[in-house]
Amino acid sequence: MTDALFTGLSALALYAGWRVFRVDSMVRASFWLMISFIAVGGIGLLLSAPYIGVATVFMMAVEMTVMVLFMVMFMMNPAGLNPMMMVHQHRFSIGVGVVAFAGMTAATLLTDLPSNPVAAGKAIVHDLGIELLGDSMLIFETAGVTLLATMVAAVILSARTGRFGDAVEGSVPPGLEPGGTPAGRVPEKSGGHHHGHGGHDHGSHGDGRSDHAHHHEGDGHDSGGHDHAGDKEKHA
Amino acid sequence: MTLASVLIVAAGLIGIGLYGALSQQSFVMLMMGLELIMNGALLAVLGFWSFALGGMPEGQLLAIVIMAVMAVEMAAGFALVVAVYRNRQADVIESLTTLKQ
Amino acid sequence: MSLAAFPFLAFFLALGAALVVVLDAVARAALAGAPAGPYLAGTFRHAAMRLSGQLVTTEAPDRANWRLAPAWYGALAAAGLAVVPFGEGMALIQLPTSIVLWGAVEALVVVVVFLHGWSPNAPFPLIGAYRYVATGLPVMLPSMFVLIGAALPARSLDVLAIVESQREMWNVVRQPLGLPLFLIVGLSLTLRGPMDYADSADLAGGSSAEDSGPARAMWQAARLAMLVAFSAMAATVFLGGYLGPLLPGPLWLALKTALVLELMVAATHLLPRMPVSRMVTFLWVVLLPVSFLHLLAAGLVAL
Repeated sequence: MTDALFTGLSALALYAGWRVFRVDSMVRASFWLMISFIAVGGIGLLLSAPYIGVATVFMMAVEMTVMVLFMVMFMMNPAGLNPMMMVHQHRFSIGVGVVAFAGMTAATLLTDLPSNPVAAGKAIVHDLGIELLGDSMLIFETAGVTLLATMVAAVILSARTGRFGDAVEGSVPPGLEPGGTPAGRVPEKSGGHHHGHGGHDHGSHGDGRSDHAHHHEGDGHDSGGHDHAGDKEKHA
Repeated sequence: MTLASVLIVAAGLIGIGLYGALSQQSFVMLMMGLELIMNGALLAVLGFWSFALGGMPEGQLLAIVIMAVMAVEMAAGFALVVAVYRNRQADVIESLTTLKQ
Repeated sequence: MSLAAFPFLAFFLALGAALVVVLDAVARAALAGAPAGPYLAGTFRHAAMRLSGQLVTTEAPDRANWRLAPAWYGALAAAGLAVVPFGEGMALIQLPTSIVLWGAVEALVVVVVFLHGWSPNAPFPLIGAYRYVATGLPVMLPSMFVLIGAALPARSLDVLAIVESQREMWNVVRQPLGLPLFLIVGLSLTLRGPMDYADSADLAGGSSAEDSGPARAMWQAARLAMLVAFSAMAATVFLGGYLGPLLPGPLWLALKTALVLELMVAATHLLPRMPVSRMVTFLWVVLLPVSFLHLLAAGLVAL
């Protein structure tokens, strides 16, 4: 029973992990990643780690929701319902992945692994709690302080303006002549449209979407939405 | 279910994650690859804890530290992505070439 | 308590859902000052119309997720109910960390509602889904504080132990802020009343705006099932669950669940609704500190 569950969950974890980089939508990708994590959480339960297993599911559900939000903010093709393939150094990466897997598998199989399984009936969660707030409190608290520092750093990094002016101050190279455009790479002015990647036909998608907008606004409505849809087509 | 089988599954996850982190062009997909590597690491730690440490609570502590690392990676990573996007309107790795110059 | 438990849990969910339908009709009728009969008949007429209705689709949806979202929502409700003990040792899922499992269910609800709104590939559902993520994620934090607070006197993350710790005094007395905070979480989990930002009327149905026919009926049914599972959990964590004199444990739990259901329906119809932006501010600036104070108080009391 345990073996069958373990086989099923590992297959799910690996399959989901592989799908992450194969599906054409960022939203689907992050939810596949979540499924992979949930499967690992399930394996954790089988490995008699009830707290870590369930906490993985809980944490990853929240984390992947946040991830999806960011996907949609930054990706071209936000709803992610048209095909996309954005990879570089593809063969090299496959090679590295396979070599890493083969190396670690070989190491696993060739090593004489120690065996000292968890005793049945051990108060695992209780012991973990005592450990967290006992001997290892310093480590636990360090993790907490690190998280706090990360939060502060994230807010500082992502805030548009700081106390002493614009947050990008200093990260943009100075102009070639005083007050001129910054040297180096010029930011695109198109508001983050990267529809060129992948070489797929985005025009038809734009059309479909504008049709949809019409459908929802009804006829004889203010033309604001129509202009917007027109813009989209122009960019596409 | 043995320690070896758990470690092989973990190696598979790390391999897939490595492939993703190296091959994906967009920042967010790259971070997904990193997350998948952490997933494999988490599974390996749990396997060792369960089969080889006799239930030593420090092993679970390591798993919790891995989770904290994942959270830090996510938060810091997204903050950097936001900052880079604000500055350069870039969301793919190829547009960051400053270090080459 | 293994295979026999499944029909029992299904029966519990169905009974609770039927009760909510009646309560909702009564509440609507009472607010309108009219007899409840026509409202109830209207509900059933509406359901029959949905079930016999046609399935309409959008352009290029994520069909699998769209059709499966109600099933996942319902499955989460069932998983949530499975950790609730109906008597001493009578919980389908017995884990030393079952309250964390309930937390995982809550977090996955946000994912499922987002998927349900994202998958039709249409504007209104997507807006509903975003709104839900914006309000649903901050609601997670008070929820965790409240559940940790409830676990403190029990000194365990097991729901069974939490019930047993209430033999002397129910948690609702020991931690007066807990139940109201948890009810807000429940409103958000079941997309009801003041926390209904996903499926609200101002978005023409929000995340289910493009749902039609049986699919929409299924989504509504899954929402009712989640409401019942949440109420059973609230009754277990704050009202002593199956504990009570004379009557058998499951009956006590059913009665307390019905009480929480009434509170939830009353909150749905009586509490005012805020715009999303103001609600998000409220959640972060008011509710989060309040729940932290609640946890502090619960910890001091438990010491």
